[in-house]
Amino acid sequence: MRTLFTAALLLAAGTAAAAPTYPVLATQSSLSFVATQQGEKFTGVIRDFDARVSYAPEDLAHSGLEATMRLKSIDTKSPDRDQAIGTADWFDVARYPTATFRTVAMRMTPTGPVADADLTIKGRTKRIAFPFAWKATAGGATLDARVALDRLDFGLGGGEWADESMVAHRVEVVVHLTLAAPVAAAPAKPAAH
Amino acid sequence: MALRSTATAWGPVTRAFHWGMLVLFAGIVPVGYYMTDLPLGPQKLKVYALHKSVGLTLLALAVLRLAWRLGERRPALPPMPAWQARAAGAAHVLLYVLAFAIPLSGWLFNSAAGFPLQWFHLVNLPALTGPDPALKAAARELHESLVAVFLVVVGLHAAAALKHHFVDHDTTLRSMLPGRGGRP
Ligand code: HEM
Ligand code: HEM
Repeated sequence: MRTLFTAALLLAAGTAAAAPTYPVLATQSSLSFVATQQGEKFTGVIRDFDARVSYAPEDLAHSGLEATMRLKSIDTKSPDRDQAIGTADWFDVARYPTATFRTVAMRMTPTGPVADADLTIKGRTKRIAFPFAWKATAGGATLDARVALDRLDFGLGGGEWADESMVAHRVEVVVHLTLAAPVAAAPAKPAAH
Repeated sequence: MALRSTATAWGPVTRAFHWGMLVLFAGIVPVGYYMTDLPLGPQKLKVYALHKSVGLTLLALAVLRLAWRLGERRPALPPMPAWQARAAGAAHVLLYVLAFAIPLSGWLFNSAAGFPLQWFHLVNLPALTGPDPALKAAARELHESLVAVFLVVVGLHAAAALKHHFVDHDTTLRSMLPGRGGRP
């Protein structure tokens, strides 16, 4: 719903060009990360997020990905760990409730599209390369990505927690978005005030 | 010296298991009580990790010790009332049961809590069950209660051994102590 609304606004503002915007089907999409604690991998699912996807391979200039993640919704299948993860040493959700992802440029490489994006977690922004796989489907498309990050780049578990034997520095972010057919690219009527 | 127990004394393997495990138990129990009150932080996780590694070591030793013990003969007891012999035997059985049940209940708690389980940074062990808050609370209770029972039984067991040694002046303790002491 929110996605549709955002898309409508953008269309109304005239910023959207040929790259169509795809509504994200929340129930068939997931945003998660895989981290390693004491040699054991665990998955944290970010249940509450919004994403906006505009993509056309022939119009990368107007393609873009955006996401806002509400970190209180992280679920690692361990209430103790979920609670620990929200504290000041880690995501500090009280002060930084959301993380954001916003592409600044999109390029095509021999292995597929890559978004150069600003990822902001815990108030720290880092430019990352975000390669993804795009597949057109009958009803829309799917977007899949798997990107490795260093948690220390975002101040996640610094100080004493920097010890890798407890929690590894490398964290993989796994994205799977199921997208419905794009919103009609017809000129939208002016937004109602 | 033969490795096996004889008609008069426990063999060196049984003695090594007995006193080696005593040392580890003497270390792990206070660590267990101490660690739960630590503030959350890497230090706490490290102490937990150590507790779990030593606990798993004790579980492995319990398996080996029982396997060895099943092939052993029991040295004859010095003369004592039948009830004492029976009580000693029951205590030994109970101690074996607890040597399995305590670490297994810890493992169960750890699994239900969704904590990782690693043996001294070397091997990771699987969870016995998925995360489960109700089971977690029950397993924690169980772990703690079994330790309490263990402490009582070990206390009686040790007191009995010392009584035989210092009051009855018999060979019970010497048959288990390191060295050559056996029963005449
Ligand atoms: C074999 C011997 C073991 C002994 C004697 C032992 C003893 C103890 C004791 C005394 C406590 C504190 C009880 C409390 O205040 O709640 C404790 C807690 C704990 N034990 Fe063990 N333990 C053993 C093995 C294990 C194993 C093998 C594991 C895990 C695989 C384990 C996991 C834990 C955990 C996670 C706690 C903390 C409970 C909490 O946070 O509330 N223990 N243990
Ligand atoms: C405080 C210290 C302890 C003392 C002084 C002590 C003393 C002894 C003695 C003298 C014996 C020989 C008894 C006999 O021949 O009937 C014995 C046997 C035994 N003790 Fe202990 N003990 C102590 C702690 C423990 C602990 C912590 C355990 C726990 C696992 C344990 C488990 C056993 C078992 C199972 C036997 C029977 C022999 C066997 O099957 O291995 N003892 N102990």
